[in-house]
Amino acid sequence: MQTVWMRRMGLAAATVLAAAAPAAAQETIKIGVPTALTGTYADLGDQSRRAVVFAVEEANAAGGIDGRKVEVRFLDTEAKPDLARRQGEKLALEGYKLLIGAVASGEGLAMGPMLQRWDALYISTINKANQITGSACQPRMFRANRLDAADGAVVTPWLAGRKETKWAIMAADIAWGRDSGASFIKSAQANKRTIVSENYSPFGSNDFAPYIQKIKDSGAQGLWVALAGRDAINFATQAKQFGLFDTVFTAGVSFVTDNTVKTLGEVSRGIWGIINYSSTLDTPANKKFVADWAKKYPGAEPTNFEGETYIGMQVLLQAIARAKSSKPADVAKAMEGTTFDTILGKQLMRKEDHQLVGPNFFGYVGDKDGKLKPIITMSVPPETATPPADAACKMPG
Amino acid sequence: MTDIVAGAPTRPRRMGFLFALLAIGAAGCTLPAVVQSPLFLTLMTQAAINAVLATGVGFLVRQNGTVSFGHAAFFGLSAYATALLIKFGLPAEAAIILAVALPTLFALALGVVIVRITGVAFSMLTLAVAQAFHELVLKWRELANGDDGMAIAFPARVFGIDMATFQQPASMFLVCWVALIAVILGLWLLCRSRFGTLTLAIRENEERARYIGYRTVLPRAIIYAVSAAIAALAGLLFALYNGFVSPGTLHWSLSGEALIMAIIGGPRLVWGPALGGVIFFFIKNAAGDFTDHWPAVIGITLILVTVLLPRGVGGVLVWLGARLGGRRPS
Repeated sequence: MQTVWMRRMGLAAATVLAAAAPAAAQETIKIGVPTALTGTYADLGDQSRRAVVFAVEEANAAGGIDGRKVEVRFLDTEAKPDLARRQGEKLALEGYKLLIGAVASGEGLAMGPMLQRWDALYISTINKANQITGSACQPRMFRANRLDAADGAVVTPWLAGRKETKWAIMAADIAWGRDSGASFIKSAQANKRTIVSENYSPFGSNDFAPYIQKIKDSGAQGLWVALAGRDAINFATQAKQFGLFDTVFTAGVSFVTDNTVKTLGEVSRGIWGIINYSSTLDTPANKKFVADWAKKYPGAEPTNFEGETYIGMQVLLQAIARAKSSKPADVAKAMEGTTFDTILGKQLMRKEDHQLVGPNFFGYVGDKDGKLKPIITMSVPPETATPPADAACKMPG
Repeated sequence: MTDIVAGAPTRPRRMGFLFALLAIGAAGCTLPAVVQSPLFLTLMTQAAINAVLATGVGFLVRQNGTVSFGHAAFFGLSAYATALLIKFGLPAEAAIILAVALPTLFALALGVVIVRITGVAFSMLTLAVAQAFHELVLKWRELANGDDGMAIAFPARVFGIDMATFQQPASMFLVCWVALIAVILGLWLLCRSRFGTLTLAIRENEERARYIGYRTVLPRAIIYAVSAAIAALAGLLFALYNGFVSPGTLHWSLSGEALIMAIIGGPRLVWGPALGGVIFFFIKNAAGDFTDHWPAVIGITLILVTVLLPRGVGGVLVWLGARLGGRRPS
């Protein structure tokens, strides 16, 4: 009796082992998203989340990547660098080692030096600070979106055509805002324009009145704004109340975006700005993406940050398929120097600084198809839009 | 009269505390060998750092009877001192020592002035001082890189120890755990000393202590400095483990969290706040996993503890221990 029982047990054990072997090979691909789900940049974090969910569902509906299902986990960082570092570590230690979608540049900069210790990888889709692919570049850190210097490359020729000579800057006092301000000063100098007032407000400010008054008093004719999320909404609303937009010509970056225009309405009309992605772009791949997006999120068009994050997901998933592995080291290797098929055409992930070489756009908020939204007036091809790799980037071994 | 009678039988129990502390300490040291999960170990390391900070805050409540809303100042100053002194070329060893020494001396100097003030005014002053430092690092971008925080350029070896020891969860947990046990032990001895009794007497009735002939400002300033030194030690451990520091370490919300930890654990006990720190950390972590509204969970916990367990979770454990030991709970 006992021998029969033992034989059965042995059989059962063998079956379990046999079943476990392919199961291990078919392990899911785990993607971790440390992003701002609450706080000043919650709206940007939400766009990042929607794009990642869309890309993951799309990949799984198509049978997964190399037959492996994709799984995703989100943790809130409040766009704070120290919290991003903690949440990034938590995700990596739980096995979600492929990180993507943080909002503030400071988050990427805080996670960068830790990636090798965590055996993780991070793809920026919203972080713009030049250091990410410059002085702070890392073997495991990549950027799929446009950096501040790329925005500068679009602003310089645009500024040449503007008549305003005196400019003011209003930016967030974080890595990105400072970077964007510095970049705008360069563009202004190249066009012999003067900067009469520089203002950097703490991240998450509620009261912009002192800055608005200063800008009005400075005699500025033009204003460059680098504020995003709730900062952008607060500033724009208060600037309107103070009548700033009536006297000062305004342009910016991440300031009037698809989502802030929806909230601000008429306040945003006529404001110019950088457009890193638009659902109106006329490529077959983008048209398909916009149509699929409307099926997943009825009545919605993908916003700029959603488009950019989706491009980041395209790069990540294609790199995993190429590497035939989801190990961060293998994926990083498969990413370097590879050209990816994105909704904005073929884009190269540069080996030297891990920057994706993509196009950039400029435009203003106006009516299109009966809706108020950012409209593209100037397109810059990838090679011109993305400046050469920063010499300050020396990949640590 | 009752003191003399009660004093004798409690002595073995106090020795019992010492043995219990050392036993818990030793048990904790085996944790990295038993638990393999780096995630759990990293959470335990962060919890231990929290516990050290809470112990500092709780000790001030216990010994001086005053509530600090600004202990993040010493925590953050220590972390920033480590980062900045290394940045300005000091050897890491010197930076580490100064990171605890400077905030402690500052607290002593500050304490001599502010411990004369009691109640809410004292709390508000501590809050103001801490927020001043927060604004300083936030606004002075050239010094400390503002809101984005700064990475600390530790060398490969510190005090002849591989830096990885301080940055791997398994080894760093041991460092933090031993530090926590040592701090609790030190405070326990301090409380039993003459100085400990004196400060308790001042807490109970300052005027009476002064009439008996004691100076009352300096002892309280020293307690304030000791409590700040513990917060600074926590800040140093944080800096060593994370290798990164941001203005959040100086923000009043951290001071508030430390106070909540102390209240949950029970500040009447030397070890209560440490327990509160660990409980707080794990509630925050578990709640954060399923909701973005984790502060609500912490808030409800705090309300439940203050209403139902005014002596904190630690107080309940002591009461249970006394019941099980067959003694009449005090």
